[in-house]
Amino acid sequence: MFAEPFMQRAFVEMALLSLLCGLVGTVVLIRRHAFVTDALSHTVFPGVAVGYAAGNHLFLGALVAAVISAVLLAVLTRVRRADDDSVLALLISSFFAFGIIVVSRRPSFQSDLGTFLFGSVLTVDRNVIVQTAAITVIVIVVLVAAGKELYLRAFDVEAASAMGYKVPVLDSILNSLVALVVVSAAQAVGTALVVPLLIVPAATSRLVSDRVGRIAVLSIVLTAVGAAAGLAVSYSASVRHSLRVEAGAAITSILVVVFAITAFATTMARRRRPV
Amino acid sequence: MSLMQRAVVEMVLIGVLAGAVGVHVVLRRLPFFAMATSHATFPGVALAALLGLPLLLGSLGFALIFLGVILLTTSVRGLQESSVVGVVLSGSFGLGALVHGLQPSPRISLGAALVGQVLGVTTLDIFTTAAVGVVVLAFLVGAHRPLIFGAFDSEAAQAAGFGQLGDAMLLAAVTVTVVTCVPAVGTILSVALLVVPAMTARLWTDRLGDTFVASILCAVSSGLVGLAVSQRADLAAGASIVLTTSALYAVSWLLAPRGIRAGR
Repeated sequence: MFAEPFMQRAFVEMALLSLLCGLVGTVVLIRRHAFVTDALSHTVFPGVAVGYAAGNHLFLGALVAAVISAVLLAVLTRVRRADDDSVLALLISSFFAFGIIVVSRRPSFQSDLGTFLFGSVLTVDRNVIVQTAAITVIVIVVLVAAGKELYLRAFDVEAASAMGYKVPVLDSILNSLVALVVVSAAQAVGTALVVPLLIVPAATSRLVSDRVGRIAVLSIVLTAVGAAAGLAVSYSASVRHSLRVEAGAAITSILVVVFAITAFATTMARRRRPV
Repeated sequence: MSLMQRAVVEMVLIGVLAGAVGVHVVLRRLPFFAMATSHATFPGVALAALLGLPLLLGSLGFALIFLGVILLTTSVRGLQESSVVGVVLSGSFGLGALVHGLQPSPRISLGAALVGQVLGVTTLDIFTTAAVGVVVLAFLVGAHRPLIFGAFDSEAAQAAGFGQLGDAMLLAAVTVTVVTCVPAVGTILSVALLVVPAMTARLWTDRLGDTFVASILCAVSSGLVGLAVSQRADLAAGASIVLTTSALYAVSWLLAPRGIRAGR
């Protein structure tokens, strides 16, 4: 399995994404930003579709869509009569509907839709890996520079604004980080499978630890192990048993099952030990 | 009935149902929950297709399991912060894609499950929607006062003894509504019909009764206009319907008394 060059590239790409998603996922978890993250992944989808239709500019298309949706999100959540969740639902569905219309004009509708949503980690090339590595470096630099402020805003928004931090600026920084991760992972695992990498391992780690640092380390490890296991399952199912198990789907499923088991176990343990 | 007639009847029924339930979804800030529920049906549909069961059984089954887990682990006020909702929302696609891939020759296409097929609805689908609509609307009308009480002051409603059961039944109503809408407009887009018409209605009026009427009108007319546009321009039906609801919201935001003119 490790002899195949495409598997080596898949492992390297997933290792990078584990680091990236574990770090950003921890901030998303603490900021309770799961729905926003999901929204950004769906709004990037039409960008990928348009970029592809315009001649394989997936990355550029995703980036433009991410920027437009981040701006719209910031503007629309200031409408007094609408709460944030409704605005997110509006953005998600209208962007996604636009993407569907773009994709449905193409003859290869079904397979295109599948690729954009679920990606194909087995076909990542050198350029994608370099791109992901560059984005990982950018994200780490931003987190080192602004991580403390982002945590402060997540834990106590009033204290943050009393201390003179611009909360909208901090929120935009986090949204841009999430958008960057979604864009970089879109080609490898697809826009629909980026979100679980950001949310599920962090939620699992949160069940067993209260400390931010440990949650981050644990999410990175969980994502890496889950990704390796998912790639291995997908490879052996396809090669040895000729079952069609897509790598991204296998990775997500493993991460969800680990969350379910951990949630069940920790709930049971808490019941047995009275507070 | 012809294909198009069935689609029109189905969209009118769904419009009435989603428009009415949507007001509660927006008042209680449940879009996150509704979105997760619609995603949770996806692996259910894939599993039912794999096992050769009716698709509705799969989607309803998975949605009810999700509802059960939610009711056991959190309260309505904790929904926004529930990690279970986040995990289900984000993980369902992967699970669904995995199960879907295991079918030797797919009975339904992944695309159809995701974006819906309003032009493919059967007479049975229409009867199901009508039956669900009657039951859910009867519940909304019958329990109107405690439901609204709970939406505006959940602590007082709890204290007055209206709390838990009403909340649980409302979540159940949202769940069956989502499950009913998914075959026609798809996993991701069904939440638009639940949320956007109600948001639009709230830009036009403050009165609750008027909000329900406006929301239903908005949902039904978006459904019909979207269908007509999709036929004329040969576009995906579900997506056209959703874009019509968004366009209606955008226009209302510019024109309505409580839109952009109301200031911040």
